[in-house]
Amino acid sequence: MSIIVIGLSLSFLLFLLAAGLTLIFGMLGVINFAHGALYMLGAFVGYQIVHMTGSFWLGLLFAPLIVACVGALIEILALKQVYDRDHIFQLLLTFGFILVIDDATKMIWGFDYKQVPTPEIFMAPISMFGSQIPSYRLFVIGFGAAVSLALFLLLDRSKWGMIIRAASSDPEMAQTLGVNVNRVRTGVFALGAYLAALGGVVSAPLVPIELGMGFSVIIDCFVVVIIGGLGNIRGAILASLLLGMTRAAGYTYATEWVELLTFALLIGTLMFRPAGLFSTKGRSA
Amino acid sequence: MKLLALESCNVTYGKAQALHSVSIEVAQGEVVSLIGRNGAGKSTILKTIIGLKQPVSGRRVWKGDDVTARLPNQLGRLGIGYVPEDRRIFDNLTVHENLRIATVMGRTGAWTETRIFEMFPVLLDRASQAGNTLSGGEQQMLAISRALLTNPELLLLDEPTEGLAPLIVDELVDSMRRINEEGMTLLLVEQNLRVPMKLAHRQYVVDNGTVQWSGTTADLLANREEIEKLISV
Ligand SMILES: Nc1ncnc2c1ncn2[C@@H]1O[C@H](COP(=O)(O)OP(=O)(O)OP(=O)(O)O)[C@@H](O)[C@H]1O
Ligand SMILES: [Mg+2]
Repeated sequence: MSIIVIGLSLSFLLFLLAAGLTLIFGMLGVINFAHGALYMLGAFVGYQIVHMTGSFWLGLLFAPLIVACVGALIEILALKQVYDRDHIFQLLLTFGFILVIDDATKMIWGFDYKQVPTPEIFMAPISMFGSQIPSYRLFVIGFGAAVSLALFLLLDRSKWGMIIRAASSDPEMAQTLGVNVNRVRTGVFALGAYLAALGGVVSAPLVPIELGMGFSVIIDCFVVVIIGGLGNIRGAILASLLLGMTRAAGYTYATEWVELLTFALLIGTLMFRPAGLFSTKGRSA
Repeated sequence: MKLLALESCNVTYGKAQALHSVSIEVAQGEVVSLIGRNGAGKSTILKTIIGLKQPVSGRRVWKGDDVTARLPNQLGRLGIGYVPEDRRIFDNLTVHENLRIATVMGRTGAWTETRIFEMFPVLLDRASQAGNTLSGGEQQMLAISRALLTNPELLLLDEPTEGLAPLIVDELVDSMRRINEEGMTLLLVEQNLRVPMKLAHRQYVVDNGTVQWSGTTADLLANREEIEKLISV
């Protein structure tokens, strides 16, 4: 039972990050290497807010918004300037922002790791099916599911989602219809940053908040995005579930095999289904 | 009234110059066609009008105002609709969404989704299908409908009849005539004279990135042999 709970909570955290990565790739054509750094920044900003106000919920509300603004600034001040050039410039730029964000974090918060306590109401474990389940994990699952659902509704059903999909599929054509594609790009990057930071704040009570935390997570996200199929958000959710459950099972039964399993999944996908395990022609955001 | 003009526009793709000092004028209510062979520069002229290409020199003028510096989304909002040559249906949107995005982003006016579905009932039947599952002819209807729903004053049509069966071409010509009779100005690109002779009031013959000839459709009839030479492969 606890494997399922840990696996699901891991899956939804991965999906928050992978969804942003995928959206940004679909719209900007760029793999955002700084995605892990934005996740880390979300956790640190969340820590700061919790530290100052004593409320986890204020951190959950405001830290992602602050990081979304940082994302918008990165897009406007830096990325926008190099869209006309080769993709490699944009890649290098997002890579550069890992270093910038890391150094800024060091300057503001120092080298020590930080901790965010589990919110009061999720302190006590819950007994379910004869085992003790940490209730914060259950919250992560419920919250992750709700955010994922909201994201799908936004993309599939709302006017904004339709505009994002159209602008991702053919930016020039969308522009002739009156879509301000520049603004859509900024918005999508900010949305991706928001989701990454949301993942960071939600993870904060579960893991130590430290400089390296973005790095390990971004590798997993790349695995999810490649297994799910680049730019395919439906694939990303299935791949998140696959990887999250694999990892949870691995930690319990064969800790030393977890990394191997993860990368076997990745290499297998690249060899046999390079477009992604769940690639489908047609609708993908 | 003069609706749109390109004045002495030079346009390049990298180092290659595609248009040499092209000047074009379209008056309100006209049907004007641009004819010429492959690679003549017709599509580039339309892209320059809608802002997907910026002239390196020359001006774009809309109702007397210099709009050379405007972006495609701004030109679209001013009232220019664009049907590109490869149709460019959004393949991750349904047929209905391909129309709805034009309704949402475009101007309001006489064209509504209801009217579009009356004119092209097949689009209603296919409304929930993905945009890329339509046949070539259906995609063309969708591309034209999408442009109409932005309620433009000037509609740019890049080879709208290319690859369509003769019966469908006739239907499309009828639709375009009706659209024009209701007051919309059309700028039509074609490689041959078939459709322009039926629809257009005035013609521009484009070759090698320059305007080689222009005149009324009656003038063109009088000089038919000369024109045929300019556009034949
Ligand atoms: N994206 C591009 N990059 C480089 N050169 C281009 C590009 N598009 C067009 N050209 C060149 O510009 C010139 C004019 O092309 P354009 O597409 O305007 O011709 P066209 O008259 O529309 O031809 P067709 O009837 O085949 O559609 C051609 O020489 C073409 O090779
Ligand atoms: Mg062309």
